[in-house]
Amino acid sequence: MQNLMQHFEIIQKTPTLYALHVSIETLFNTLHHLRYQSDFITLSQLTCTDWIEEERFELGYMLTNLERNCNLMVKCFIGRDDVTVASVVTLFPQAEVMERELHEMFGVGFEGNDTLYDFALEDWQDLPPMRREFDTLAYVQSHYDFRDGRDDNLDVKEQIKIRKAAAKSAKEAQGGA
Amino acid sequence: MEEGFNAYRQSLESEEQSIKSTQSVVEQAIAWFRAHSMFVLAYGTGCGAIEMPPTFTSRYDIERLGVVGVATPRQADILIVSGYCSPKTLKRVIRSYEQMSDPKYIIGLGSCTINGGMYWDSYNTIKKLDDFLPVDMYVNGCMPRPEALIEGFVKLQEKIRLNSSEAGYIKYRDNYAHYRANQERLFGAQVAPSYEENFAGMN
Ligand code: SF4
Repeated sequence: MQNLMQHFEIIQKTPTLYALHVSIETLFNTLHHLRYQSDFITLSQLTCTDWIEEERFELGYMLTNLERNCNLMVKCFIGRDDVTVASVVTLFPQAEVMERELHEMFGVGFEGNDTLYDFALEDWQDLPPMRREFDTLAYVQSHYDFRDGRDDNLDVKEQIKIRKAAAKSAKEAQGGA
Repeated sequence: MEEGFNAYRQSLESEEQSIKSTQSVVEQAIAWFRAHSMFVLAYGTGCGAIEMPPTFTSRYDIERLGVVGVATPRQADILIVSGYCSPKTLKRVIRSYEQMSDPKYIIGLGSCTINGGMYWDSYNTIKKLDDFLPVDMYVNGCMPRPEALIEGFVKLQEKIRLNSSEAGYIKYRDNYAHYRANQERLFGAQVAPSYEENFAGMN
């Protein structure tokens, strides 16, 4: 790790978690280096964050090393629309299914991964559902029927408070008597 | 008004009387056999499925009621839809249900099958199972304990013994157009082939 820190701008977050920001051009080469020249052999997570205000996504590759005592998060900002990133299936075979999920949930393309077809959602016509401009509630209301009785939407917290206070005072009254 | 065990026994006896007055002996026997040999398709959707292994194994041992798990829909009498159902799952559930042979019953396990449960605003789960399939018995709770599921089975046994025309598979046959329309609306072009021709020669 010390060695790596001399070559990359790695920030230490916790004793076992490090973070590294790279640009989209150097993403694949950095991961390649970490995989083969360093001992980060496991890709344990592949995440995507939607920063809609800044109009960009942030990909996060969580790598774990051979001794399992250190995690490195390689982060990369990408555009929100029609972006394609080089797939890392050749480096980490398990990335195949992770990339497939991100493609379905955010619409990120991965070049070199040929499994980017339907995953959990079959025949999905709408926006990828994890993008923040996707209006979940409107989608649900237009696609599913609700059972009556769910729509009253009462704030039960107040009721619970009142009930608890009543029970408490009743108990106290009993104890006093 | 009697209470406790006597009241329970009396209610059982009066029910027995009503069964006896409406069914012939052979019908009674068939209904009794049916109610005590319920074969459940070993299949689970959603998190409620995790309560099924304890129900079926030694702790709660539901086999004493004649409930056994089987591996294929062709041998099963009961389908437990044990929780939330995404459209993708529901397609498989409907296909499994249609492959089962009559008489067949559905138990909806958990709040999710009733009204969406905690997934009421999820883009990928259905909210009312009985729009798509005829549910015979709902067991509510999130998630229901095995005791609740057993209670559901016992209630279902009573229902089977009454041998009413309210049974789900008869409803499905009679109102197929309604269920089919709902399925088509949800699945669009991906809906399974129609099941209607299989009803020919029945009734
Ligand atoms: S009712 Fe609760 S336990 Fe059952 S599937 Fe839904 S969320 Fe899971």
